[in-house]
Formats: sequence, C-alpha cells, structure tokens
Amino acid sequence: MNSETLNTLDSYSKNKYKYGFVTEIDEEKPKKGLNEDIIKFISLKKNEPEWMLEWRLKAFSKWKKMKEPKWANLSFPEIDYQDIYYYSAPKGFEKKPKDLSEVDPKLIETYNKLGIPLEEQKVLAGVAVDVVFDSVSVATTYKGELEKLGIIFCSIGEAIQKHPDLIKKYLGSVIPAGDHSFSALNSAVFTDGSFVYIPEGVKCPMELSTYFRINAENTGQFERTLIIADKGSYVSYLEGCTAPKRDDNQLHAANVELIALEDAEIKYSTVQNWYPGDEEGKGGIYNFVTKRGLCAGKNSKISWTQVETGSAITWKYPSCILKGDNSIGEFYSVAITNNFQQADTGTKMTHIGKNTKSKIISKGISLGNSQNTYRGEVSFLRKAEKARNYTQCDSLLVGNQCGAHTVPYIDSKNNTAVIEHEASTSKINEDQLYYCRQRGLSHEEAVSLIVNGFCKQVLQELPMEFAVEAQKLVSISLEGSVG
Amino acid sequence: MNIQDNYLNNKKNIFFSDNKDIQTHRDKLINIFENDRFDKKNNESLKNINLKNFIDFKYKYLIPEETSVINNNQENSYSIVSVNGQCSSFKDDQIEITKILEEDYNDFSKNDTIENNDHFVNLNSLFLNSGFKIVIKKNNNIKIKISNIITDDNLTIFQKNNYICEEGSSLNLIEEYENKNNSTSNILNVIKLEKNSQLNHFLIQDNSPNHNLIITTHSSCKKDSTYTQKVYNFSEGYVRNFHYSELIEANSEVDLQGIFFIKDNNTTNNKTFVKHLAEDCKSNQVYKGILNDRSKATYFSNTHVDQVAQKTEGYQLSKGILLSENASYFSKPELKIYADDVKCSHGSTIGPIDENAIFYLRSRGMSKIAATKILISSFINEELSSIDNEQMSEIIQKKLVRYLSKVK
Repeated sequence: MNSETLNTLDSYSKNKYKYGFVTEIDEEKPKKGLNEDIIKFISLKKNEPEWMLEWRLKAFSKWKKMKEPKWANLSFPEIDYQDIYYYSAPKGFEKKPKDLSEVDPKLIETYNKLGIPLEEQKVLAGVAVDVVFDSVSVATTYKGELEKLGIIFCSIGEAIQKHPDLIKKYLGSVIPAGDHSFSALNSAVFTDGSFVYIPEGVKCPMELSTYFRINAENTGQFERTLIIADKGSYVSYLEGCTAPKRDDNQLHAANVELIALEDAEIKYSTVQNWYPGDEEGKGGIYNFVTKRGLCAGKNSKISWTQVETGSAITWKYPSCILKGDNSIGEFYSVAITNNFQQADTGTKMTHIGKNTKSKIISKGISLGNSQNTYRGEVSFLRKAEKARNYTQCDSLLVGNQCGAHTVPYIDSKNNTAVIEHEASTSKINEDQLYYCRQRGLSHEEAVSLIVNGFCKQVLQELPMEFAVEAQKLVSISLEGSVG
Repeated sequence: MNIQDNYLNNKKNIFFSDNKDIQTHRDKLINIFENDRFDKKNNESLKNINLKNFIDFKYKYLIPEETSVINNNQENSYSIVSVNGQCSSFKDDQIEITKILEEDYNDFSKNDTIENNDHFVNLNSLFLNSGFKIVIKKNNNIKIKISNIITDDNLTIFQKNNYICEEGSSLNLIEEYENKNNSTSNILNVIKLEKNSQLNHFLIQDNSPNHNLIITTHSSCKKDSTYTQKVYNFSEGYVRNFHYSELIEANSEVDLQGIFFIKDNNTTNNKTFVKHLAEDCKSNQVYKGILNDRSKATYFSNTHVDQVAQKTEGYQLSKGILLSENASYFSKPELKIYADDVKCSHGSTIGPIDENAIFYLRSRGMSKIAATKILISSFINEELSSIDNEQMSEIIQKKLVRYLSKVK
C-alpha cells in the first residue's frame, strides 16, 4: 500500500461518529440485574396478560441453564447480565401519545438529527414509521391507512393485548425460547419491537419501517419483531439502527421472526449502524441478534438484505427455513468492520421442501484492526428434492492488521440437490486503482468507487428509501479507511 | 474399559512408558480424555464416527516374528514391507531407517498447532506401539514403496513414522494400505522437508469392511521445498484422512489432493489444514468424493494465512457426487486470513451427476449405467491423468473399474 493510501486512511479514521449525542430525558428504570422480579416488573409495566408472563418466566428458567454459544470467531469480556438495565422507558409514557404533537420535542429532534422521515419528512418519504425509542414505541404513523387494508402494524406490546391469538400462535414458533441463550434471554425480557400482520392477498402498498435507537446508558435493548405474511401477501420491512456514543459496551439481543405462508413474500432490509466503539476499540454495542424466517407455505419467499457497518461485536445470522415446496430464501449482506470491530455474520439456509432455492451473496470488507467472518450453513435434508443453492462470499482486506475469514458449512443429504459455493479473498486491485486515477479521480474517490462496485450486488437489493441511506453509511464507514 | 485403565493395563507393551517426560505428557492426555469424553456435539471432526470402536477398544498388539524386508534391487529404489507397523533398521549412503526414538515422540505429538486437540493424534501418542524413522540424505533422489501388513485379527496398531528429507533431496513415496483383517491402525506421519527438498507422497487405501484406518500426516516445509500428497481411498472400511501442513519458510509449496470412493454403510472423514507462516508460499487443496448407497463423508479444509505471510496464494476446491438418495456429504471449506496481499479462494459443490450430460450420452445410444460410469471417470480424470507413475496409474485404474462395476 502506498503512503497516499495510508494518509487517506489516517485522515478518515479521525472522522468521528456522527450520531454520538445523548438526548436528555428523564428516564424511569428499575434496578440493574436480571431476576424473576424484573421480568414481572416488565410484564406489569407493559400491562401484559398472565400467559405472557408465564411464557417469559419459562424462557428465563431455560436461560438460567444455558451457556452462551462459543463457536463464533469473536473475543470479548464476559457479559455481566446482572449489570444491565432491562427496562428503560421515557417517563410519562405509560399512556401513549395520540399524535406526534404529544411527543417530547427532544425525541423528535433526535430523530431529525438522524434524518429519519418523521413529521413532515414522513409525508415526503411515504414511509410509515414505528419508532422505538429505547423500549417504548413512541409513535406509529400511517396506521389508519394500513388499517383500511387490514394490515396490522403496531408495537409487539400492543399486539399482545389486541391480537393475543396471533401472538400465541406464532411467537416463538420460528425461534423457540430454548434455541440458544440469547434467544432465551430475549424471550424473557423483551420490551418492545414491531408486529406486522398482512392479511390474505394483500400487497402492502408502502415500505414499513422501524428505527431502533439505544439511548440510556447501560441499557440492554431486547426488541422482538414478529412479521406474518398470510397467503398471497407481500410486505417489505425496513429496520435501521443507530446508537449514541458511550464508553461502556451495551448489549443488544434482538429476536426477529418472519413467517411467510403460501405464495407470500417478505422482504426484510436492515441497515445496522450501532456505535462501533472508538479508534482504540473502547465502547461500542454488543449486537447478538437472532433473525429467522420460516417459508411455511408453498411458493413463499423470504429475502434478507443487510448492511452492517456498526457495533463493536456483531453476531448475527439471518436464516431461512425453507419448508414449503418451491419456496425461496435469499440473503444479501455487506459487512464493513473498522478499527477494533469484530463481526461474525452470515446465514443459515435449511432446505426441507422440494424444489426449494436459496441464494447467498455476502461481501465483507475489513479495515484497521478489525476481524470480519462470514459463517454460513446450507443444508439439504432428505426430502429436499431438486433443491438448489448458490453461495458467493467475497472479502476485501485493507491494511495488514485486519482479518477476513470465511467459514461455510455445507451439508447435503439429497442426491438430486445441487449446491455451489465460491469464495475469494483479496485486496483492492492496484490496476483498477491506477485506471481510476488516470481518469482524474482522487485516490479516495477511486477507492470509494471500487468498494461501491464491490458491494453493488447487495446494495441494489435494498428498497429505494434505504438505498440512499445505505450508500451514505457505506461511505461513512469507508471514510475511516479508504475513501 | 475406559481409556485410562486400558492404558495402565497395557503399559508394558507401549513405547517409552518408562520415560518420565513422556509419562507426564500422557497423564495430561488422559486428563483431556476424561474431561472431554469425545464430545461429538462440539467437535465437528467426530461427525459420523462410530466412537465406540475407538474409545472402548480392546488393546492388542503383537511384535511381529518376521522382520520387514527392505529391498533395493533397482538403483535409488527401495521397497519396504512394514509388519504391524514395525520396520527393521537399514543404512546406506542414501537413506537411514531406524526405530522411532524417544526424542522423536515430541515432534507433533506435543505440537499445539492442531486446533481443538485432535483426539486421534492424542490416542496415537498415548498408546504408541510401533513406528520408524526414515532419513533421506542430502541431495539424493530416491523412490520408496511401503506396503503395510498386519498379521493378526483385532490388532490395534498405534504407529508413528518420521520422515526427514535433508537439503536438496527428493523422495517419491508410495504407501499401500490393503488389509483384509479386522484391525485398527492409527498412524501418524511426521514429515520434515529441509531447504530445497521435495516429497511426492502417494497413499493408496483399500481395506476390507472391518478394518479401520486412521491416518494423520503433518508436514513442515522449509525454504523452497515442496510437499505433494495424493490420497486414493477405495476402502470398504472406515478411513480418516487428516493432513496438516505448515509452510514455515519462504517460497515453499504444498499440494494436498484426495479422491475417495465410498459405498454401502461406509464413512470417511477427511481434513486438510494448511498454515501459511511465511511469505511467497503457495498451497492447493483439492478433494473429490463419490458416494454411493448409504455412505457418508465429511471434508474439512482450512487455509490459515498468518499476518507475515504476504503474497500468499491459497486455493481450495471440494467436489462431491451423490449417487444414491441415502448418501450424505458435509463439507466445510474455511479461510482464515490475516494478511492483505493474498490471493485466496475456495469453491465447493455437491450434487448429482449432471442430467443433461447423461441425456446427451444416452441420446448417442449409451445405456444409463455406461453413461454414469463415463461421467464419474471424467469427474476425476484430471487427478488420475496427473499421476506420472505408470504402475500406480494402472493400480488405481483397476480399483476404479472395480468400484464402478458396483454402480447401478
């Protein structure tokens, strides 16, 4: 690498985290620590029915017996679960505001800084936003319009009260509480998240979006999202995450469950930009997320797209269980790690039904002292006749202090299924750089162009509303390094 | 019987059991076994293995009455018959063969480079009862053929062989494993390649259904040296091929290739692990498998590139063909890269024989079976045609024909 590249890297690595500000709002929270009392407290605060509390306590008793999964290529100090607040809600929010004018203006200001389309912006952007500020769903917009179509889009807390049948039937059906310790933890203490139900034959006319944001110090955010697409329906869901700057590491363990019935399609896009820690690797979010979709019916489709630029630790494997015949699972991912970030991310495609298809495109970019791992499992079970998988994972290394790893697990138990996997690891091509520079681009522009080209396959899968933000995020992440 | 008792009862038959240092090491190993208990859930390399054969085995070893024969009828060419893992001593200007010595025990047995502790290497170190050491002297170019013979049923052979290729030497090594009895061989080959040396290592494995073969090699390559390994597994019994390589000095190369043909209820586990510890090194890992009936196979490959190993080229390829609906194949090609100026890639495919190709051949008047056989042969043709030893090539062709005759 020439000295110019190094200088560019240096100048950009000084670029600070733009979203590092704290909104000062009185917060009401119980004591730190995890025990049955706190779970009862959460359940009471959320005004939950008895069966929900029982469900939580059951998950908690499972969690007590479990150990964290250790197979990921990550190193971090032991998490002290007793040193975390499990509930944090802005005061006076037990009663929900009816419209945005009732919402604390400071909150609105916060979102404006982030550039979220709320208030006037929401009209322009045409996005219905279910904003989660720490643990309470602050405002849900566009609800009425969606209601006309029979679409339910609300916080999970509300759904537990208003739609107990759906919750009872589907909550934990894709990610059982006892799946692993983070799913058990989430099941026990989840505070909020979104619930979406698309009725039969309805194509959701707009992109549904949630903006998660961790605000209070030492607060774990445990949101739970459940999306059900009934027969022949379609929905595209956007999730974005940003956290303010903190020195302490914060824990984030979300569970996201998707269920697609016959002929239904769910598209789930994430832009994750939690605080990644500073240049020395101090602070940052620990992101342990379980995302799983079930293609339950014939011809259903679930597509995951993620742009992962934040978090000190990312542990995330959005997966698809392809149960229905002819169902399709897709996974598109860009993961960028810088400084001392560690990411162990990938997917899991389990082919159960006949003629099921899956496609995995993963792009990893490692910079600074970071470690970036792709870990993905593709398995064909006995009955997955004529199933098909294509996997491609490419890694780009910038600098010689970082690492890029690829760990695919490929398991075939059916002799009519075809599986293909390819991966490559390299650095930025000097010839391409030279070509771009010759055409008058500056060094950083050239690198940015090449990296954008490297990610294009994934970025073009994002919905319009997100693509712009994602591209900005990619450039911001690259600013610390290449351009 | 648990492993500890098994060891204590048979101590007198086991090499170096009166050496204090080695004893301390073995105590540690026993401890590992006690704590880990072959935890299948957290150790993928134990997938599909019938562990009972290897934990609760009955230890039995016979010192062979007849010593092995070493012939060098042709110039630069030696043929060795190793009986129950033993080989008599021999010395001339070109090579030197001795028994395995206490000081050789530490090579690799105490090596920490194996991730997650390889249980079978540990078992080998614990129950070691045979083995030899071959040194190829400076600047010699020779051929060695080793036939491994086991004299009795139900023997448990724990063998460790050291090969040292001195500077500028070149060795063509052919190892044959063709045993028809119900024994278990656990063999560890430790190979050291000095500067500018070369080793072409062929392993032909064709054992009967009740013979278990566990073979592990570890090679370390110094400057400008090359290690090439080709494994042909036609065994009807369980085979485990685990091969570790370390490129410790610049400009060295390693090429690990394997083909396995399995059928019935058989299982095979394969692993190749290449560690790039110096710059300008090259590695290649290619494994192809053909699975019929209810057979199961696993293949793990791993390329590790250290931070100092710039200008590395590392390639992996794994391909599997499933001929029957009950066969299963698991592969895990792993890349761990800590240096930026590298070219590394891997590819992996698993699937049936291409239906279009079958259709093409059938439309030319060929029967389905004939078409299948032709396509299997062409699947591995690249590897077979690269064998430059005519005799070897013939042996392998014959075995291939035998395997294909059972394909329906």
